[in-house]
Amino acid sequence: MSTNHIVENLKKEIENFSAQMKVEKVGKVLELFDGIAKVSGLSDIKSSEMVTFPNGEMGVALNLEDDAIGVIILGDFSKIREGDEVKATGRILEVPVSDNILGRAVNAIGVPIDGKGVLKADKTYPVEKVAPGVVTRQGVDQPVATGIKVIDAIIPVGRGQRELIIGDRQTGKTAIAIDAILNQKGQNMICVYVSIGQKDSKLRKIEARLEAGGAMEYTVIVSAGASEAAALAYIAPYTGVSIAEYFMDQGKDVLIIYDDLSKHAVAYREISLLLRRPPGREAYPGDVFYLHSRLLERACRRNEKYGGGSITAFPIIETQAGDISAYIPTNVISITDGQIFLETDLFYKGIRPAVNVGSSVSRVGSSAQIKAMKKVAGTLKLDLAQFRELEAFSQFGSDLDDTTKRQLERGKRAVEVLKQLQYAPVKTEHQVVTLYALTRGYMDDVAIDRIKEFEQGLIEYSEHNAKAFYKQVIEKKMWDDAGEADLKKAIEDFKNTFK
Amino acid sequence: MAAISNNNIARAIYLAVKEKSTAEQSLLFPKIVRFLARKKLLSKAPDILARLSKIINDAEGKVAAKISSVEKIKEMDKREIKKNLSKRYGGMEVVLEERLDEKILGGYRIEVNDEVIDLSMKNRIGKLQEYLTKSS
Repeated sequence: MSTNHIVENLKKEIENFSAQMKVEKVGKVLELFDGIAKVSGLSDIKSSEMVTFPNGEMGVALNLEDDAIGVIILGDFSKIREGDEVKATGRILEVPVSDNILGRAVNAIGVPIDGKGVLKADKTYPVEKVAPGVVTRQGVDQPVATGIKVIDAIIPVGRGQRELIIGDRQTGKTAIAIDAILNQKGQNMICVYVSIGQKDSKLRKIEARLEAGGAMEYTVIVSAGASEAAALAYIAPYTGVSIAEYFMDQGKDVLIIYDDLSKHAVAYREISLLLRRPPGREAYPGDVFYLHSRLLERACRRNEKYGGGSITAFPIIETQAGDISAYIPTNVISITDGQIFLETDLFYKGIRPAVNVGSSVSRVGSSAQIKAMKKVAGTLKLDLAQFRELEAFSQFGSDLDDTTKRQLERGKRAVEVLKQLQYAPVKTEHQVVTLYALTRGYMDDVAIDRIKEFEQGLIEYSEHNAKAFYKQVIEKKMWDDAGEADLKKAIEDFKNTFK
Repeated sequence: MAAISNNNIARAIYLAVKEKSTAEQSLLFPKIVRFLARKKLLSKAPDILARLSKIINDAEGKVAAKISSVEKIKEMDKREIKKNLSKRYGGMEVVLEERLDEKILGGYRIEVNDEVIDLSMKNRIGKLQEYLTKSS
C-alpha cells in the first residue's frame, strides 16, 4: 500500500465522516442510585430506547415521566456522576448477532466474556420484539430428543414447545437442561443457554462440560452473573431469545434454556421497586406476568410459508420447599405448555433424574413423539401411576393376587429403567429397545439390582444382532413385523446368555 | 400517587402570574417563594425557574438558545445562526445566550432546550477518533 493510497483513503473517510454531524437529544443525570438514573430532558425519547453515558456505558429508558425519565444502566455505573450528559440514540435496545456467535459466551448486551476475542457481527436484532403471530405458526409435531428416558418416553417435548423445568434447589434442574443440550449433537439444533443470576463458578463448570461434550459448536451462552447489575439480569433472557430468533430466521431449530426465571423475576422486582413502581403480591410489580409471557411467547414453530424454524424453550423455576403455588411458579406454569416437576424426596431415594411422573405433564403430548416411541411408551405413564397406588396399598397387607404382584414387579423395574446418570444421554433408538423389553415383559424375571446391567448388555447386543430393527426405527421412525421379529429374537438370545 | 412535578409547579406559577399588572405581580412573588419554602421545594428552585422560563418563552413564541464558542461571535455570524435556528424551530424568535468556553477548542456548540447541535472542535475530534477506530 503506497503512502498516497493511505492519504487518499483517509481523506475519503474524513469527508464521509463530516457529513455525519447532526442534532442530538441530550439530558442530564439528576439522580443516580443502585444502577438506576433519573435523567432530565430527552423529551422525545421512546420507551426502552437506548441512551449512552459519557464513559460509553449504555442505558435503557424504562420510565417516561413528566419531567424526567428513569433509566436502567447496563454495565458499570460507578463512574457516572450527577450532571453527566446523557445522549439519546433513537434506537431500541439491540444486540449484535452473527453466525460466529456459536461457541461463544456473551453477556446480556452481546459483548463476549470468554476471552476469545472480538465478535464480528453483521447484524443487530432488537432485544424486545413482538412474538410471531397466529398465521405464521404451525402445530408442534416434531420431537426434541433430550436423551433422558423419562422425558422422551413420558413427557415428550416437541420443537416449538415451552416446557417448564421446576423444582427445589439441588434437584437436578440444570442437569436436565445440560443433558438436553449435550444430546442435540447431530440433531440439527442450535442451543442457547441463558444463565441469569448464577454463580460464575457454576457457569464455568457448565461451559467446560459442554466443551468436553463437543456441544459448544452449536451452543451460545448468554450470561448475566450474580455479581452483575440487576438491569443485565433483566435484559439477558430477551437477548438470548433475540439470538435464537436470528437462527430461527434462517429456518433452523433452536433450543433455549432460561436458567432460571425465578432470579429473573427477582431482578425485575428490584428494578421496579427502585423505579418506584407500585409493588403487588410478594412485592413483585403488576406486570411480572407479562414479563414472562412476552418472553415465552417468542418460543414458537413457524410454518414453511414464513420460513420455518422453531424455538423450543426450557424455562427453569426454582421453588422454595416444593411450593409450586407461589406467585412466580404458578404464573410460569400457566404460561408454559407443561412442566417437568423435580422432587427432593425422589432425588434422595436415588431416583435420578428426580422427575415426579404424576405431576409432570406435556400438553403437546404424544404428537411430538416418533411412532415407535409412542408404541412402547404409550401405557408407561399409566402403569407407573398404578404402580405408585399399588405400592402404597401393598404396604398394608401381604396377601396379594398374582396380577397385583406382577404389576408391582413391573413397576419396580420401570422405575429402575428410567433412572439415568448425569451427562449420559441415551439415543432414541436405544430407548425404544429398552422400553420395548420392559413393556413386553422381558425384564420381569431379571433381578432389580441387575436391571442396569441387563439394559446395557441388551443395547450392545441388539445393536449388532437386530440391525434391521434399528434401521427401521432410525429411518422410518417405526418398525414392521419383520423388524419386530428381529428384535424379539435378539432379546431372547441375549436373555439366554445373560445369567 | 400522582406526584406533582417541577413542570406542574412552573406551569402553575406561570398561570398565576400571567396577565397580572406589575403591582399585582410584586405582591404575588413573595407568596410564591413562601409556598415553595412551605412545600420544601426551594432546593428545586433552579429547575423550576428553568422550566418557567421555557414556558414563558413558548407562550411568547420565543426560543432560547445557548451558544458556546472560544471567541466572541461576530454580529454577521450571529444573524446567520439566528436565521437558521429560527427556520429549524418553526419561525420562533431566537434569543441567543452567549457563553465563552475554551474547553471546546473551536467552533460552536448550540443548545436549544434538550437538543444539542455540537459543531465544536472537541466533539469533532472525539467523533473522528471513534469513527476511525471503529471502521478499522
